Amino acid sequence: MARIRVAMFVTCLVDLMRPRIGFAALKLLETAGCEVIVPKTQTCCGQPAWNSGDAPGAVALAKKTIAEFEGFEYVVVPSGSCGEHIRVEYPRLFVDEPEWRDRATALASRTYELTDFLVTVLKVDSVPGDYEGTVTYHDSCSGLRGLGIKQQPRALLAKVKGVSLKEMNGCEECCGFGGTFSIKFGEVSAAIAERKCDNILASGAQAVVGGDLGCLLNIEGKLRRMGDETTQVLHVAEVLAGRT
Amino acid sequence: MSSREDILGRVRAGLQRDATNAAAGRAEMAAALSSRSHGPKPAMDSNPQALLERFRVKSEQQSSTVEIVAAESAVPAAVERYLTAMKLPKSAVAWPSLAGLDWAGTGLQVEPRGARDADLVGITGCFCAVAETGTLMMCSSPDTPAAVSLLPETHIAVVQASRILPYMEDAWALARKELGSLPRAVNFISGPSRTGDIEQTIVLGAHGPYRVHLIIVAG
Amino acid sequence: MEIKSMQFKANAAGSLANVVLQGNLKNAKGKFVTRRAEAIKDLDDFEGTRDAAEAIRNKVIDNMDLWLEAFERKALDTGAKVLWAKDGAEVCRLVTEIARSHGVTKVTKSKSMLSEEAGLNQALEAAGIQPVETDLGEYILQVDNNEPPSHIIAPAVHKSLDDVADLFHKVHGTPRKTEIPALTREAREVLRGHFLSAEMGLSGGNFLVAETGSVALVTNEGNGRMVTTMPKVHVVITGIEKVIPTLEDLSTLMRLLPRSATGQPISNYFSILTGVKKPEEHDGPEHLYFILVDSGRADVVGGDFHAMLRCIRCGACMNHCPVYQTIGGHAYGWVYPGPMGSVLTPLYAGMENSIDLPHAATLCNQCGIVCPVKIPLPDLLRKLREKQTERGLRPLTERIGLRLWAWVAQRPRLYALGASVGARYLKWLAGDTDRIRLLPTAPEWTLGRDFPAPQGKTFRELYAARRNATPPT
Repeated sequence: MARIRVAMFVTCLVDLMRPRIGFAALKLLETAGCEVIVPKTQTCCGQPAWNSGDAPGAVALAKKTIAEFEGFEYVVVPSGSCGEHIRVEYPRLFVDEPEWRDRATALASRTYELTDFLVTVLKVDSVPGDYEGTVTYHDSCSGLRGLGIKQQPRALLAKVKGVSLKEMNGCEECCGFGGTFSIKFGEVSAAIAERKCDNILASGAQAVVGGDLGCLLNIEGKLRRMGDETTQVLHVAEVLAGRT
Repeated sequence: MSSREDILGRVRAGLQRDATNAAAGRAEMAAALSSRSHGPKPAMDSNPQALLERFRVKSEQQSSTVEIVAAESAVPAAVERYLTAMKLPKSAVAWPSLAGLDWAGTGLQVEPRGARDADLVGITGCFCAVAETGTLMMCSSPDTPAAVSLLPETHIAVVQASRILPYMEDAWALARKELGSLPRAVNFISGPSRTGDIEQTIVLGAHGPYRVHLIIVAG
Repeated sequence: MEIKSMQFKANAAGSLANVVLQGNLKNAKGKFVTRRAEAIKDLDDFEGTRDAAEAIRNKVIDNMDLWLEAFERKALDTGAKVLWAKDGAEVCRLVTEIARSHGVTKVTKSKSMLSEEAGLNQALEAAGIQPVETDLGEYILQVDNNEPPSHIIAPAVHKSLDDVADLFHKVHGTPRKTEIPALTREAREVLRGHFLSAEMGLSGGNFLVAETGSVALVTNEGNGRMVTTMPKVHVVITGIEKVIPTLEDLSTLMRLLPRSATGQPISNYFSILTGVKKPEEHDGPEHLYFILVDSGRADVVGGDFHAMLRCIRCGACMNHCPVYQTIGGHAYGWVYPGPMGSVLTPLYAGMENSIDLPHAATLCNQCGIVCPVKIPLPDLLRKLREKQTERGLRPLTERIGLRLWAWVAQRPRLYALGASVGARYLKWLAGDTDRIRLLPTAPEWTLGRDFPAPQGKTFRELYAARRNATPPT
């Protein structure tokens, strides 16, 4: 059987902060039988520009990303936030450029958030992860409300033998990250994060797991500032992939 | 330029109003007004017994109390029983439309008139009732003054089971059929007045009645 | 109302530091969210009802001029008078003139956010006419030195039982009560006298029905019924966007409004008022006036923010907003708080007067999901950010920073170099720990939390190294 050719969009945060999440995603895709290509010139999908009111910047970065990725059968993103930007926002960026709109729509239809891709497209039976312990899952906003990512990561976590999932209260509530919001209104952002962290701690889970690094950095930073040194903060790919 | 013309002028400019789209807009408006289409309604068993039961359950959920009597002639005695049980005075103001009932025969002092501040009990009928939400529909008129269901601390309403309709949409249809145009005040009432303005804690008896008692005439 | 939205950040900091407020907000949040979630369960087709409601509101705002004229014709037929006001000042002038022409000395008011926009109470007082707020929450605020509301449905949600107990003790001169029913009874008794003696009642309008020329009012307390039943004059103040076509449409919207607002299947009182009292009737006003208010609405029609005109003022967006839940309504600095306020304030009170508001959201879209008329609030907030940038309203450093970043991100080699340097710099800041306690490039982040340390090398560096070490087979 011909292997599925997948391009991975690493995301700028994973590139800068947590390369191991990228390698975990890579391992998951390769284990599932994909041929994974990581286009070298990729940078950022442009979402920060779009959300900050810089439409020309957002359009320029979208065009760049579309040109880099449109040649692949699938594009997979280990982030609900960047995934949502490509899948939902890209086609809406090009109001006056029908040709680009068509290209954006075509790319959008082939772009998947990582767990969605593993469940919906690859329909994987097993994952290599060997995590042992209780985890609680934070549904990040763009993935959940933008892409409908809810059951996919849970279905995959259920395939890791040692993992038991313990839902926290308010798992669908925003953690307060909000991209540039977190540095424009740091105190409000941190206060929202505190509520999320209270719920995480109350769940008693050993680790909080999520699909978006932005939220995870926010949560980890708040947990540590609150004095919690033990709760692990992990990307879902790390738990599913095991050691990379 | 008048404020009216100024405002409408800017609205028209925003909509890029011209003769063609004005004609289309008017046609759409006429269609909307004549079709009276409605949105989705919650499913409901519409046989009379089921409607009565739903109305009763929903009314009680709104903190109303309910008694069912067999015939209209049994209403004054039911009112008397309720007032006795609640240790309330045996005098009341009632809609003039209810003047024909034998109130005096049960020892009640009932005055058919509009309401005054000092009235402690108000007795009304209703135009119809809505089973979906356990709601009374009151239509104001000289014989059915609005304040009787508002000023007294206790409101007793007589509901004919035959006029319990499934949805509010049915109430509008009935009003159009029987009244032609809307009366000055249509009041939909669902239980005693209440407020949650202090700490989101629901308290009954804000500015209107503290208690609403429904006497449903089944016959 | 005076706009204080430019102080959003300072206001928010004040809210965060206010322990009592934080407790009250936490308490309110749970109740609003849980009650709504329960209440929508008994609509079998909640999403279908939202679609229908959206369509109803679109129908009118897409032809707003025609529907306004249709409503006006019907209302005139019923014996009402219809007046138009361009702005708050004109609202105040018209209401004062009406009051004077009928010899009015006291006005009872049921809740009207538009009268807050216009600063109507102050104008009435200046004209020697006594305005009395009768919604319990609004009354509490009025007797507390005219404090502004912090929520459009529950204006005094920021106050605790203790706050109200102290306040009533002080202003009523009565023994201090500690039970909510007793406090409510006290307000009832004070206000009953006003209901009976006021010559004029003033209300907002939840909807205007074009089919019948009626105003529809939704209340729980019964104060809306009082102010529209007892005085001889009734004045309705509503925005020009409030028209809906038919009574059937009213029924559809009423399946959503109370559920979205307070989690009730229906409000206690839902009044549809049409025309004036007939001579032989016992109660009802002899004179009915509609004041149809623009105050910025007309200029929104047909533009980028047209969808906002669908809003039915339920408050669900703020009840579900993580930012509102954390800082409350006063921080937003004007009449409307939360996501809908962060869109409306720039549109109605000036973009330059509310620079922070469109950014005061995480774009989590909880508001968009709960909105009963499906207003894409995050999209509108984002669009406002774009307008701010276009109009040069954002700080210069931010604009330059954004453009520079986008410029670099279009140049992969430069970007890769920047990312490598950045990863090492952050790693260096963390030292041999796993966190950065003070982030010099974004100090706001580390005000209330740490910044986790990066691995130290970028993915692209490590990936290239790995590929060089193990050539593909």
